[in-house]
Amino acid sequence: MRTTSLALSLAALLLLQGSGAGFAAENGGYRVGDRLQSRAARKDAKAHYQEIGWNALIPEGWDPAAAFRNIDFSRLSDADPRASNALDALRKAWDEAPVEPGWNGQRVRLPGFVVPLERRGEQVTEFLLVPYFGACIHVPPPPANQIIDVFPAKPVKNLRTMDAVWVVGVLETLRSQPKTDSDHRMGMGTAGYRMKAERIEPYKER
Amino acid sequence: MSPWLALAARSAWNRRLTLGLTLAAVSLSVALLLGVERLRHDARESFALSVSGTDLVVGARTSPVQLMLYAVFRIGEATNNIRWNAYRAIAADPAIAWTIPISLGDSHRGYPVLGTTPDYFAHFRYGNARPLAFSAGRRFDGVFDAVLGADVADKLGYRIGDRIVLSHGIGGVGLPEHADKPFSVVGILARTGTPVDRTVHVSLEAITAIHLDWQGGAPVPGFSIPAQYVRKFDLAPKEITAALIGLKSRAAVFRVQRAVNDYAGEPLLAVLPGVALDQLWDVVGIAEKTLLAVSAMVVAVGLTGLVAVVLAGLNERRRELAILRSVGARPRGIFLLLSIEGLCVTALGSVLGVVLLDALTLLARPFAQSAYGLAIRPQLVSLRELRLLAAVIAVGLLASLVPGYRAYRLSLADGLSPRL
Repeated sequence: MRTTSLALSLAALLLLQGSGAGFAAENGGYRVGDRLQSRAARKDAKAHYQEIGWNALIPEGWDPAAAFRNIDFSRLSDADPRASNALDALRKAWDEAPVEPGWNGQRVRLPGFVVPLERRGEQVTEFLLVPYFGACIHVPPPPANQIIDVFPAKPVKNLRTMDAVWVVGVLETLRSQPKTDSDHRMGMGTAGYRMKAERIEPYKER
Repeated sequence: MSPWLALAARSAWNRRLTLGLTLAAVSLSVALLLGVERLRHDARESFALSVSGTDLVVGARTSPVQLMLYAVFRIGEATNNIRWNAYRAIAADPAIAWTIPISLGDSHRGYPVLGTTPDYFAHFRYGNARPLAFSAGRRFDGVFDAVLGADVADKLGYRIGDRIVLSHGIGGVGLPEHADKPFSVVGILARTGTPVDRTVHVSLEAITAIHLDWQGGAPVPGFSIPAQYVRKFDLAPKEITAALIGLKSRAAVFRVQRAVNDYAGEPLLAVLPGVALDQLWDVVGIAEKTLLAVSAMVVAVGLTGLVAVVLAGLNERRRELAILRSVGARPRGIFLLLSIEGLCVTALGSVLGVVLLDALTLLARPFAQSAYGLAIRPQLVSLRELRLLAAVIAVGLLASLVPGYRAYRLSLADGLSPRL
């Protein structure tokens, strides 16, 4: 009788502990490079927001692979300076990637992965939203127009690095004017997206 | 039902010693369980409080968690330094709004000494983006000026104008001292609840100056440079331990992080504090779960003891229960009586456990603050703790059903003629 009650109480306590996992439990099966699905450019009249995909944030006509266009990689060895030059050019182009000004002030919903920036206790008060799993930590970072600086309306609990979430909020495009030529060269003219998020929900496959 | 309750209370009072000891066991185990949970929460709160507004922490290449531990939380020692030239090169990136160089490695009576520039007081943020404030005095500007954290000043009783001597190395006693070059206290910072409270701040030039006549971690015998002559030497720092970086735009953080990690001059590492904290919790989380499981087991042992005591008491109480039956108690009433007794002990034990924990917290608070920089505070029960308490009481109720059921069976079988 003593052993049954012991096992019983232990089981109950541990079960209760497990229920606090929240967002973290959603993060199971993703691997580096995985993207989340959203029904692209769907208007949801009732909720007054537009569900978008990450490609929508790239202005039409901007080609992320422009630096690679005229290079035939099958003819280059890894050590070839032309290959590393092209890679440098690509990185520079990505750092300076332009934003689509049409999104300024639009209320949107999109899925992404979390990179926490600021915390208050165990809650996250600011984070970057990136399009693919492992972005920026294990693999080269995405272009500047594929990163959103998110400010939740109220701090979010149980949010951890690379958790998959839906965010709903008003997008803002930032356009910092380059002050000097050198700023411009270094990509300081790059704009970016920012969002005041009204809602943040764990991402679920549908 | 009220006469039953009165009877039950008196019966319990009659067995006050054994029940009291059981109550003590339950409340101690509850205090332990909640204490572990509270310590976990407060530790995370303290850590998250220590860094704010910093986009990147840069140091020699090591593990991100270790870099955070020594550069921000002053736990452990740096694996390696970074050269001043490398720091200058990185700080020149136009995306960077400000940088704070940090030089660690010396201490004062167990408190770490941090060499930095006046930018530290301008740009360092803690908690919810709060800047550092002075409770007395000003920033350092002379070579031998020192600014103390609140705990250092409190514990060691320093005031503005006092002279202090730094030791070479961190921790322990009998460290070699920089006795020939004393510092004077020019400022004391307001309390922050972060490692800043336990830190002695001096200028980077001071760190160079006190090591002018040192080689390989010890004073060169027969060679010393008096304090008044150090200004004749080049006091520009050669090395720093780490640097905190703030960016103009946070979206540029990955680009700057990559620029630092790819720096050709020497192997460097840049980490995002938020990401490194998550990695730290991953490591610490295993220990936390183990501790929580152990304290859950202690609660289980306490409740098992409770069941054992009530069960053992059943034999002595056969006559009592028989009399209750004779005056009209149903077997169901006996069942309820015993179950409620167990439940009451668990509930009372839980309440006492919370009170005990708060009392202990009050007692341990000054020690935890000064020794570990851990801001623990007595508090009302949080939601998470309430859930734990509810679990304990639910398990207590379940466990109490056991003696209740046994008494139910006994009272049916024994009737009014117990064999004594």
